[in-house]
Amino acid sequence: MGVLDEIEAAIPALRRYAHALVRDGQRADDLVQDCLERAVAKRHAWRGDGPVQAWLFRILINRHRDLIRAAPRPGHLVAVEDLPHEPATIGGQEAHLDLRDLHDAMGRLPPDQREALLMVVLGGRSFAQAAAILEIPKGTLMSRIARARATLRVLTGRSADPRSPGKAAGQPRNVET
Amino acid sequence: MTDANRLTEDDLIAYFEGAMPADAAADLAARLADDPDARAMLAGWAAQNTALAALYPALPGDAVPQAMADVMARARADEVPVARGAWRMAASVAILAVGLAGGWFARDLMPGATRAQNVAVAALQAHQTFVGEVKHPVEVLASDAEQMNTWMSKRLGRDMRPPDLAASGFTLLGGRIVPSATGPAGFYMYEDAAGQRITLYILPDGAAGSRSFQFAQDGATQSIYWLDENLSCAVVGDIPRDVLRTIAVSAYDQLI
Repeated sequence: MGVLDEIEAAIPALRRYAHALVRDGQRADDLVQDCLERAVAKRHAWRGDGPVQAWLFRILINRHRDLIRAAPRPGHLVAVEDLPHEPATIGGQEAHLDLRDLHDAMGRLPPDQREALLMVVLGGRSFAQAAAILEIPKGTLMSRIARARATLRVLTGRSADPRSPGKAAGQPRNVET
Repeated sequence: MTDANRLTEDDLIAYFEGAMPADAAADLAARLADDPDARAMLAGWAAQNTALAALYPALPGDAVPQAMADVMARARADEVPVARGAWRMAASVAILAVGLAGGWFARDLMPGATRAQNVAVAALQAHQTFVGEVKHPVEVLASDAEQMNTWMSKRLGRDMRPPDLAASGFTLLGGRIVPSATGPAGFYMYEDAAGQRITLYILPDGAAGSRSFQFAQDGATQSIYWLDENLSCAVVGDIPRDVLRTIAVSAYDQLI
């Protein structure tokens, strides 16, 4: 399978991730389009170090970070305590989250936490692969995921962390894989 | 259970994300039996993952947007075995240009997409785009020639100075920079006393070996184009071919 075949095969995964990350279908597809054009143009310079899909995701992530830097969108950095607290509509079932609540909550996450969480949840990557794609240390990835999960839990109306509500924002130690 | 024995959230996250050595993970799993809080936390994260997967489902692979499919198709056109080495870029550009023109040029310029024909296509397109402009046919007027030359030389990375075509009855209106697939190109427009306009397209990128004039046509609009070692040029106009040829020779002599 040539590089172009692999790029083409990755399009659905790139779109899925971009749609979740950007939360606007058109802007997400624009991001993927941009990523594909860059990848196609650079494919002869790419040295083949690692999977094509990881390389594509790095391009996508970097482009997304550029866009955020260029046009920061309000609303990402609202403190959790300041948010109106709406309980999830489905009560009782611990394993069930209201999807609309979750979608809204995802939109409140800082972009770095959102990109980290989606990188491990969507697509079945290993933790090490996700850290490599995001080009951050594993400890940083761990920390972002922990904070993202804690924030989602609060925003989707779950009761606060059963043991230590303030703990979620702490710095997890580095772990071995 | 004392606090010291309790599983920390750091441990649980590492365990949950599969980022923990196998023996530590086995140890943690054994301790979960006595820690309902930890089990609830893990269940909550699993519920988040399930909900996120449902919220952002996999997209069907056969519904790729056309624009994305086009990017891949163009890249594949670039990969045909004959289009290797120095010609690879030129060939892809020519195919792209013909593709964009939607067969409009195909009549005269296909088959055999080459670097030179690519220049002709680009020159014809630029001509068609700007020659009809009444108010803004050029970006910089000939009256500001000095400024124009400095600007265009800088952008194109070579000395850019429009040839004098007065001998053929054409005077410079001015110039502009136009985009091309291989970078900025220079574009000059001239006009004769009757208001007839011709254009000169210059790409600071050439090819060794082929110095002969070539001819391309789209309807009444004709182009004579040539490639030098580091320059590709085309003159375009709706004028008799022999006049166009005289102009091309004059431009060629001055642009060397």
